[in-house]
Amino acid sequence: MGRYIIRRLLQAIPLVLLVSLTIFVLLQATGDPLATMGGRSPTRPEDKARLRRQLGLDKPILEQYLYWLIGNDWAKFDLDGDGIAESPGIRYGVLRGDFGTSIVTKQPAMKIIMDRLPNTLLLMVTSEIITLVIALVIGVVSAVRQYSFLDNALSGFSFVAFSMPIFLVGFGLLYIFAVKFREWGLPSLPTGGIFDPKEGRTLNQLVLHMILPVATITIISVAGYSRYIRSNMLEVINSDYIRTARAKGLSERSILYRHAFKNAALPLATLIGLDLPFLLGGAVVTERIFAWPGTGRLFLDHLELLDYSVLMGLLMLITVAVIVFQLLTDLMYTWLDPRIRYS
Amino acid sequence: MKRRLLFVLTLGLMLTLVAAPTLAQDKKVVTVSYTQEPLTLNPLYITQWFAANVVDMLLTPPWFIDDNLQPVAVQVTEIPSTENGGISADGTVMTMKLRDDIKWSDGEPITSADYVFTYDMLMLDKNTVSSRFPWDTKVKSVTAPDATTVVVTFNEPFAPWLTTLFTASPAMPKHALQPIVDKDGTLDTADWNRTLDPGSGAFKLGQWESGSFLSLVPADNFWGGKPKLDEVFFRVVADDGTSQNAALETGDADIGPFLTAADADALEKQGLVTTVTPSGYNEGWFLNVNPETAHPAMLDVNVRKALAMAFNRQKIVDDLLLGKLPVPGSYWEATPYARPDAKPYDYDPEAAKKLLDDAGWVDSNGDGTRDKDGKELELRFIASQRQIRKDVQAVVQQSFAELGIKVETSNYDNFFDTFGEGGPAATGAFDIAEWSQNPDFPDPNSNVFLCSEIPSADNPEGSNWTGYCNEKVDSLLQEQLKTTDTAKRTELFHEIDQQLFDDVVWVGVWYDADIWATTKRVENARYSGADPFWNAINWDVTS
Amino acid sequence: MATADAAAKPIRINASDNDIKAQSPTQRVIKRFTRHRAAMFGLMILIGVIAYIFVGSLVFSEAQANFNDTSIRLEPPSSAHPFGTDRIGRDILARTIYGGQISLLIGFLAVIVEVGFGTAIGAIAGFYGGWIDAVLMRITEAMLSIPALLLLLVMAKFFAGKVEPIQFLGRSFSGSVIVIILILGLTSWMSLARIIRSNVLSIKETEFILAARALGVPNWRIILNHILPNTLASIIVSLTLGVATAILTEAYVSFLGLGVQAPTASWGNMLTEAQEFNVIKNAPWYWFFPSLLILLTVLSINFVGDGLRDAFDPRSDNKV
Repeated sequence: MGRYIIRRLLQAIPLVLLVSLTIFVLLQATGDPLATMGGRSPTRPEDKARLRRQLGLDKPILEQYLYWLIGNDWAKFDLDGDGIAESPGIRYGVLRGDFGTSIVTKQPAMKIIMDRLPNTLLLMVTSEIITLVIALVIGVVSAVRQYSFLDNALSGFSFVAFSMPIFLVGFGLLYIFAVKFREWGLPSLPTGGIFDPKEGRTLNQLVLHMILPVATITIISVAGYSRYIRSNMLEVINSDYIRTARAKGLSERSILYRHAFKNAALPLATLIGLDLPFLLGGAVVTERIFAWPGTGRLFLDHLELLDYSVLMGLLMLITVAVIVFQLLTDLMYTWLDPRIRYS
Repeated sequence: MKRRLLFVLTLGLMLTLVAAPTLAQDKKVVTVSYTQEPLTLNPLYITQWFAANVVDMLLTPPWFIDDNLQPVAVQVTEIPSTENGGISADGTVMTMKLRDDIKWSDGEPITSADYVFTYDMLMLDKNTVSSRFPWDTKVKSVTAPDATTVVVTFNEPFAPWLTTLFTASPAMPKHALQPIVDKDGTLDTADWNRTLDPGSGAFKLGQWESGSFLSLVPADNFWGGKPKLDEVFFRVVADDGTSQNAALETGDADIGPFLTAADADALEKQGLVTTVTPSGYNEGWFLNVNPETAHPAMLDVNVRKALAMAFNRQKIVDDLLLGKLPVPGSYWEATPYARPDAKPYDYDPEAAKKLLDDAGWVDSNGDGTRDKDGKELELRFIASQRQIRKDVQAVVQQSFAELGIKVETSNYDNFFDTFGEGGPAATGAFDIAEWSQNPDFPDPNSNVFLCSEIPSADNPEGSNWTGYCNEKVDSLLQEQLKTTDTAKRTELFHEIDQQLFDDVVWVGVWYDADIWATTKRVENARYSGADPFWNAINWDVTS
Repeated sequence: MATADAAAKPIRINASDNDIKAQSPTQRVIKRFTRHRAAMFGLMILIGVIAYIFVGSLVFSEAQANFNDTSIRLEPPSSAHPFGTDRIGRDILARTIYGGQISLLIGFLAVIVEVGFGTAIGAIAGFYGGWIDAVLMRITEAMLSIPALLLLLVMAKFFAGKVEPIQFLGRSFSGSVIVIILILGLTSWMSLARIIRSNVLSIKETEFILAARALGVPNWRIILNHILPNTLASIIVSLTLGVATAILTEAYVSFLGLGVQAPTASWGNMLTEAQEFNVIKNAPWYWFFPSLLILLTVLSINFVGDGLRDAFDPRSDNKV
């Protein structure tokens, strides 16, 4: 078991390197981060040349990648522009835990990401839990009452919700519950943000501000899970094993919850395990509509600025999480299903 | 069953929370909606307009530029001038006299040593400051003969001194920052960059929640008095304008900067007050006159004049901007530097047709497009991705087609890239390019019409993208930069403006002032185009 | 699903059914499909949408779709303009017709790119095995470990403005159309490649392939003539659901400002144009009609895809 884990982790190393190199090159080739530094007017040529030198952006892409990976404290650089490299580098590189500093805020990239991550997890995990609860109810009910009116109606709704563009849901909810409700004098919800700064970060405020974005994400994602649960449940219900249980005269409820559901839960657990790490990336569109201070909006803002340290940090975090969760999911499988053994 | 119970409980809890009455507020609070979160607060590193505005409230310059674009002394006893000896007779030395009662928020006095320190930080090689202008090219030295005197010596007379220098980079607290620089070798990573504490403004930073908001509260030791407000919030909203305006309309925010004309109109109907603040920007057409890259017709001044006359700018402004902003007649619209009675070319399609006919551009092959010597009158009209520009492009394409001018439109993400980076405007891949440009506002200086700024392989960063080179304009532009006498300098600009108008190299589309919306409960908000929040200390709210 | 904003995952339905009658496989598939009520309903809507954008373009010329008059901007629906007018007074009805052509074009072409890549990589990896398989599957895994929408945005930013406008069928398209097709295809082929690979692995060992090999039939021929037709079901289902996903994703990317660029219209960028507060609030027709068309198209394609999956899957039932 231990050797299996180590082997899997070792196999992941080239994968992570491949991903990081590809994205690094893609980002560096996308444009000049200094072009947008000037705010409303283009950056002055003298300043551009100086900053490029100071920030090391004048070096070849692969050299910059190397510095990003292993740091540059072992090399010397020319900061004053006299052509002589005199100052040692100050970066330690990702391999030594330094994800670099943001070009624009000068803060460590990891700190910037960590400032936003709790917000994103709050939004995404809440949405995921609510989504799953609703999906379970819908999925199980439609499986048990297969082809009933209820099943058909739920399927129809699922498909419609699933086919809706997120911004239509988001703007629709914003328009009705935040703008129109206020206009009509009804208790309305806030237009965006994570809490009203005047009130502070209270539970009450967080819940109020989460309702619309969580609803948006849930509406869009419920269908996928509920359809999956439905089909798994159907498969189990129609299996010999359940038929045997029925034949033995067990109560319908006991069959459903103790036997059928337990078996249908295994593939679902896998699916959730594989989906979880992607929650770290936040919900780009939803976060933007509701001004949610999460990683999705962070990504968009810093993509606009081509602030590669932050973008790389975020993408690497997710990639590593994906690999770890894949491993965990596989391990969970062996635990849940004793027939499978890894060596 | 259990699950159903849980669901009901959760729902009940949520409803209770929604219905919970909000606590009454006796604090005076104003909320500003902000579509960009400041990336840093240290003026040395600031590139955002939004961040610079917040700094106005935290760190004071020697003088503010008010809403009438006049200097208002803050840290100095008087504004330097030739009369009071603040500006030397030859215009190469500027002397500032600091007040002797000014203090940092931690109680330490603000002295000339802080000014010299600020200059040193701007020039320190380990600081990745966003711009060294004009310190690296125009300033010879900054010295402190005594604790309240700051002397700036220029390489040659420097006319824009009033609005550059320490107005853009206010003094920083040496006593707090020198130890950090001694230890780290740089100011780049100092915590102070995100707190500005100790500062020198009427406010100090209260809280800063990444991606969410900043709060400012009254500072200690400010010599100009106490702010009337107890707290100012800057709430970060998404930059699509939708969330911002929803926040303003519902009262979640009191002040909204940078609105589109159409949104301003919608908010006015909801009872908000809108303010148009000159920012020096004008949306305009830059016409390519570079013989190497332009369509041959563009080199004829009468063709360019015909384009200006064939374009119904008033209708664009009336319909798309709901008449909120005028058509500018001058590159220096609404400033004293615009030539007297500056007016745009009138919309006159018949006259435009005649000009084109006379210039030899007629439809000789009957394909609907004018031509001359076998060359069709097909012009490239480019712009960035801004929606309103795409709208203008579509309108112009259609109305020009009626006059026999074919227009191809394109939009670029990398519109503002330099010649060296292959930017479409800089490399001359256009005949008409539309963008919003300002001089070094509030100073009138501008480099975009200088011959020396025409981009080329040898000058890849050049900023004169039209390729315009007129000896008279060129020498006048050089001369004004060294003319410290304001009246004389103004006259030089009138001459430059007239020549640019006659040569039809720039055609103003609309006066691109900043539009602010303010709820009625906020009083005394007077936004300046240069230092928007200069009078935040006087902001108040009605109960 | 977790990345609700990211590309939607296909809905899985596979109920069991044991009554397989003696019919040819194709007949069986067609029969099952035609008896799938939701799929037939979806197909009808889809035909309606396609008829709308093609018959519509016979009624309205492209010039009419682009004709603007700023003095009638943001007018509500009327007899002259049944869907109202947009921000510079263009007819929204005519624009949804031409925008729809672009949206559907993007959907179909992106999926062709996706299927091309997915099939090629999956088939090669599965057929050859060994180090080729290892390398290709590592790349697939790498692509799968980056959130699709984030990768898409990085690529959209990378290609933005780098492709010139193109002329096609006498019409001019913004280069961004090509870009968006390519990046949609390049960021979505992974799961298809995995399905194809596992299908190929199982088919590879069947007797008729072993026989073909023994007869000395070249490898590419075996892949093309024997293996691919046997994985056709997976390809067709993926392709159909992929079109729906591509149309939605195009709308998201356009919404975030990195999608199809003016002057070319798509349903996605019509929504972007409408993304101004006064428009959302005061001119709902501007965003309602493009949204409705996106919803109808995506919904109908999802129904059809679902029906196809059930029809191809011998275990599946003939009803939703």
